[in-house]
Amino acid sequence: MMITLQKANPLEDKTLEELGFTWHTDSDGSKYVSDELVQISQDEAEAYYEATNAIYDMYVEAAEYVIKNELFFELGIPFNLVDIIKKSWDNDVHWHIYGRFDLAGGIDDKPIKLIEFNADTPTGLFETALLQWAILKHNEMDEEKQFNNVYEAISNNFKRLITLFDDTDNFNERYDGWKILFSSMDGNDEEEATTRLLQQIATDAGFNTSFEYLGNVQFNENGILDAHDNSYEYWFKLYPWEDIAHDEPELATTISNIISNQKAIILNPAYTLLFQSKGMLKILSDLFPDSPYLLKTSFEPLEGIKQVEKTVFGREGANTKIIDSKGSVLEEVEGPYGNYKKVYQEYVEFPKDLQGAKYQAGIFFAYEACGMSFRKGGEIMNNMSKFVGHVIV
Amino acid sequence: MKHISSIAGGVALGSAGIIMMSVLSGCEAPKEEPKNRYLVIEQQANGKYIVVEEMPTEGPSRAIIREKDENGNPIERFMNEAEMKALAEQEYQKVQSGNSETLKDDGGSAGMGLAGTILAVAAGSLLGNMIGNALMNNKNFAKNSATSNRSAYSRSAASSAAKSGSGKKSFFGGKSTSSSRSGGFFGG
Repeated sequence: MMITLQKANPLEDKTLEELGFTWHTDSDGSKYVSDELVQISQDEAEAYYEATNAIYDMYVEAAEYVIKNELFFELGIPFNLVDIIKKSWDNDVHWHIYGRFDLAGGIDDKPIKLIEFNADTPTGLFETALLQWAILKHNEMDEEKQFNNVYEAISNNFKRLITLFDDTDNFNERYDGWKILFSSMDGNDEEEATTRLLQQIATDAGFNTSFEYLGNVQFNENGILDAHDNSYEYWFKLYPWEDIAHDEPELATTISNIISNQKAIILNPAYTLLFQSKGMLKILSDLFPDSPYLLKTSFEPLEGIKQVEKTVFGREGANTKIIDSKGSVLEEVEGPYGNYKKVYQEYVEFPKDLQGAKYQAGIFFAYEACGMSFRKGGEIMNNMSKFVGHVIV
Repeated sequence: MKHISSIAGGVALGSAGIIMMSVLSGCEAPKEEPKNRYLVIEQQANGKYIVVEEMPTEGPSRAIIREKDENGNPIERFMNEAEMKALAEQEYQKVQSGNSETLKDDGGSAGMGLAGTILAVAAGSLLGNMIGNALMNNKNFAKNSATSNRSAYSRSAASSAAKSGSGKKSFFGGKSTSSSRSGGFFGG
């Protein structure tokens, strides 16, 4: 399963910085953005699109199943978010803006397999929506040769906060000035740029928007306010729901009341934490045993096959182990998520390049699959993995 | 191409596309703050209007107008750029005939009418920089512009005053926002 690469002139650091992309160099001094592009065929791009839409539909069915059968504990969902999750699930106004699926395969006729779903706070948005397009442009390549409609798709999905399933052309007629506040942690450039990009997309869609660092946002039973006491109908937070539950339990209660009293809508909605839980991989594997996109997954170690142990919540590959068929650990990444429940997912090989580096496809989803890019790394993708754009040949 | 879409000419990238293309083509990215404004304009007890919030916006200029209905209950309405522009133009006509309150010596201290207030704070972005700059050269206009806009310095004062709520029917049913507040929860 070999990846085909194409050299491209990289954008200079100075240019990247002018574009607002400051995290171009990793902590070991290496470039985060590859100077190569993955070549994929039109059919491969279409197959990623189909697979992603099918997987999202399965997630929706599985979430319905989890809620109906009260399986929150099994998924490791903090008890103080259960109520918010149910409420957000019950009303379509809690619209899922965007997520990113991580997939293996899809190249050289190898089947596409779901690795996990970053549904709550996905990053890689700036790189996928803007940067890989800029690389094509910079190299005077055909900009249409890329599966990348991320910006427009997310813009339309913001409009659906107002129009829901109806035609987004009705947005202007129905929109009544409701405001969205965007927030991320102060001091994290990547998260802030991601959040500000989403704000820009929402502004382009026609919303009144503002930005406030998380630490300055005010919450009370009546709503969500910025530092200047302006209240907002929507709040987008690039901050994990499970961290709110564990680190800010008082806030979780306040937010629950805000949602119950219909004072504000929080994005991405609380139910995206169900999607985010890797426990869902087990539920999916039970509900859809014949799906070609799913890997066998269990809450117990799998018998006699090579597998990956992950925690239900955990980011950037932390607390991940690769275990061979006899139960020996082949590779392990430590991390802060060790207290979470574990899942065991059948191992699958990622496509590789000539140097043996592995490639994981990331497909963005906003109402439908809308664009893709790759991460290049070792056996376990972590925060040292590199961003690689793609070109359709 | 059946399903998947791509970016054609950067147009699909909206305002981000404009910045991207200007940087890639070697031009300076537009660094200037967007001159369009998002305003919150509040009617005072005397019936005059004051700008209580002002934020730069990448999108078109917009305003929320907070007024009182005949029973004294707060109502809010949304005004788009075209409506703001129409009012500003109407007031600018008065400026040209010398009848605008924006040119009066004491206009801004007690607030002005809605059209005057909008012209005073957003003439440049609504009617163009030439008109905006010309107006600002008038001493009274400049003074009125400054005094009818309290967004910069009156935030703390404004927050202690009762806030008006939305009279609109919507998902966010609430009548008004309260003034009881708790601090930031994220430890900021």
